[in-house]
Amino acid sequence: MTVPTTPAPARMRTVTATVNGVTRSAETEPRALLSDFLRHDLGLTGTHVGCEQGVCGACTVLVDDVPVRSCLLLAVQADGRRIETVEALAQDGELSGFQRAMRDEHGLQCGFCTPGILMSVTAAEREGLTAEQTTTEVLGGHVCRCTGYQGIRAAIEHHWQEAGR
Amino acid sequence: MTIATRNGDTLVGKRMPRLHDDRMLRGHGRYVDDIDETGVLHAAIIRSPAAHGTITRFDASAARESGEAVLVLGPDEIGRLTDPLPTTWRIPGQHLAAVELAIRTVRYVGQPLGVVVARNRAVAEDLAELVEIDIDPLPAVVGIEAALAPDAPLLYPEHGGNVAGGIHFGPPVEELDALFAGAAHVVEREFAVQRINPSPMEPRGVLAEWIPSTEQLTVWASTQVPHLVRQEVAVGLRLRVDQVRVVTPDVGGAFGGKTTLYADEAMTCLAAKVLGRRVKWIEDRTENLTASYQGRGQQARCRLGLDADGRFTALHVHIHGDVGAFLSTAGSGPFQVAALTIEGPYRFGAAGATVTAVFTNAVPTGAYRGYGMQESAWIRERIIDEAARELGRDANELRLLNTIQPEQMPYTTGTMLTYDSGDYPAVLRRAVEMGETRRRPSTDRIRRGIAVTGNVEITGFAPSALLEMFQIHWSGYETGTIRVNEDGTVTVFSGVTPMGQGIETALAQIVADELGVPLEMISVQLGDTATAPYSNFSSQASRSLPLAGAALITAGATMRERMLGLAARALGVGVEEVKLDGTVFRAGTTGAEVTWRDVAHRGWMGWGRGETDKILLEETVSFDPPGITYAYSAHGAAVAVDLDTGKVTVEDYWTVNDSGVLVNPLIADGQIIGAIAQGLGTALLEEAAFDPETGQPLATSYLDYVLPLSEDVPDIVIEHHVTPSPIITGGFKGVGESGIQPPAATVGNAIANAVPEIAAGLTATPLSPSRIWTLLEQAGLEG
Repeated sequence: MTVPTTPAPARMRTVTATVNGVTRSAETEPRALLSDFLRHDLGLTGTHVGCEQGVCGACTVLVDDVPVRSCLLLAVQADGRRIETVEALAQDGELSGFQRAMRDEHGLQCGFCTPGILMSVTAAEREGLTAEQTTTEVLGGHVCRCTGYQGIRAAIEHHWQEAGR
Repeated sequence: MTIATRNGDTLVGKRMPRLHDDRMLRGHGRYVDDIDETGVLHAAIIRSPAAHGTITRFDASAARESGEAVLVLGPDEIGRLTDPLPTTWRIPGQHLAAVELAIRTVRYVGQPLGVVVARNRAVAEDLAELVEIDIDPLPAVVGIEAALAPDAPLLYPEHGGNVAGGIHFGPPVEELDALFAGAAHVVEREFAVQRINPSPMEPRGVLAEWIPSTEQLTVWASTQVPHLVRQEVAVGLRLRVDQVRVVTPDVGGAFGGKTTLYADEAMTCLAAKVLGRRVKWIEDRTENLTASYQGRGQQARCRLGLDADGRFTALHVHIHGDVGAFLSTAGSGPFQVAALTIEGPYRFGAAGATVTAVFTNAVPTGAYRGYGMQESAWIRERIIDEAARELGRDANELRLLNTIQPEQMPYTTGTMLTYDSGDYPAVLRRAVEMGETRRRPSTDRIRRGIAVTGNVEITGFAPSALLEMFQIHWSGYETGTIRVNEDGTVTVFSGVTPMGQGIETALAQIVADELGVPLEMISVQLGDTATAPYSNFSSQASRSLPLAGAALITAGATMRERMLGLAARALGVGVEEVKLDGTVFRAGTTGAEVTWRDVAHRGWMGWGRGETDKILLEETVSFDPPGITYAYSAHGAAVAVDLDTGKVTVEDYWTVNDSGVLVNPLIADGQIIGAIAQGLGTALLEEAAFDPETGQPLATSYLDYVLPLSEDVPDIVIEHHVTPSPIITGGFKGVGESGIQPPAATVGNAIANAVPEIAAGLTATPLSPSRIWTLLEQAGLEG
């Protein structure tokens, strides 16, 4: 076993990004993950960290409209970018159509994986994916331990139908 | 049971979205890691890298001298400052009655040995790496067979063997042996169920704050059992229980994995106490997969005897349960429940079950949703299927021939469980019928098959007297409090806790109905030991709704009468003339009105009460169930088996379920579907495996611990059969665990139906492609 060295005092970096439409700036360590930056430096705790290994998808946010796993990105990589998190989905206090569908179809139980799914499905909706593509390709990349996915699939169907897609 | 008939528009029985979903969907869930971090220090746990060995050196000097560590505690300091944690349910022969916190002999990889505290989590983890631990290795004991081998290394040499304890239920084995000797046909098989990680999406975590001036500890914990955590923290840290308050914020799933105080959580609380600060520890996924207690993990030899007509004459199962490195809080509990529930919905001439609990060098096992009853369903339903195949009989016909009939209720089993109610043949017949429309043809290399299974489930656990008889230190009863506040709002307190199962909404529906007020007036507040009635058992064992619901029905009925009485006096009329309409009381004769809010205000002023009436506008009722109420179900699966790859696809899945009176069918269906999905994970995918030589865990991330994804779970069809529980006020039975118990057996039997050539070998889960392909190869079917 090699003897590890004492951790060096971290050099702090300033990260500035447009987060949910507002320019936000905070000091962070270069090694900090985007998920930790959002949660602990900006206080946006709606983004949840389920595995920190890029598998579960709970921490998904949109960076320049693209869904990314915020546990696989460094905060410094988000400098100058546009970030959207679950906190931005409700407009003027009203839940989005897909958020409402998730409630009505019981698409969430413990709610921990939900923000990541909301962000991925929101991106799919904007990209014009079909309900089937969204169910197979997009939801297929998320882990939910509670619901068995049936309510989430029903919410996607229901919302796409309602929106006439 | 008044609620179903009070008015036409009852909330009980109404399929409605949950009350707190709006908040969760906005990202306003508040889990333990979301609590304000001002002034919070962060802990990392120092864990054993070895499966078995003696610690000869624990040297934290490099960490301490780094200038970055706020605190490091190792086994010596922990030993000086703590006492071992108590256990609640023990097995005869168990020599360890407590969970040690100060570890000198490591017995599993990931065992917590110490704690480091620093300004953030990353620094704390860096510092934990600096701690040098020398361990004199001992050979690792991996798996039940290795543990029971004659020359096996011993985890506790002073105990003289790796058997942790044992128990037998039902008639003596010799008596059963005689019945097997006289049976026309005996089927015998060895079955296994793998270790499973409960794997809630939110790992465990605690935030602890010790205030030196007042000597009070507050612990925010992601737990199912705040009161149990409180009493165990008090024991572990040598505090009075009233110095500790435990609060559960939102909990991101639990599934049995959060039903105790773990050693790493206790160490975090200790760090807060030593420092007089706020200290947080959040488990990462690797820790969760390797160091949180696991579920299942057993081998069982089962024998089923039948007479010439196919009637079940005898059943015996000997379960060897892998308890891991030590017996956790309820240690052998799941294995004992597997034994107790081996008979399911069938009659046997005689039935008995034996449990042997075995130590191995692996993380301890404990509660996981289904709690022994998934294992018993797997054994029972598979061996019945094997018997039918050997006899050339139809498996469902054999099941129905032996099913307990409704007129035999209440029915006492060989292991002395008394089933309270239900029509077991009806759900089985209906599930068989549903299967007939779901048969699909096989093709050349894709074989298809279907199967139906039956199950009975312990819910609403349990009468205090029963727990006392078994010396299980859990509060079986449940207490509910309804307070009508001075502004007329209604606050409901209960000892049960929310973890995503929707109990807040269901209890609000019950109380709104019982009081007769709109749902919006009810706030259900759970999980804070400062306000929640005592319940150290809380939300597990499919008990929250039946027991808390029953208590609140009685409390609500009394509160409604009290409010009517206060309204009558305010209106100057007899109580029989007063009707509550929405939030207004009206006198039938005079038409005079007084609002619910004004009546509540008068109540708190102490006005208008009878001479002997109490003032406090609060009703508290404890409900101790007179017996266990049993839910039951039949499950069906249609599978496709790819002979080229061994991959099994579940194409259709259906269930007919009886959980008594349903409060919110949307939530009940969600519980059943979610549990079936977990059951399919056990059936086909999940396995917490260990290296057979070193005892190193092999599943350390979600890349090697495979959870079901959307594509693995078909849309599940649910039909409800409603038999109100005759022993639970409100007629409720539990529903949270019913879905998880039969899927492995149902899928296994459907595979057997599809590929009878490999049926006899379908004895262990997960039925992964490699396991199936191996069986196909042995049968010469691999192509």
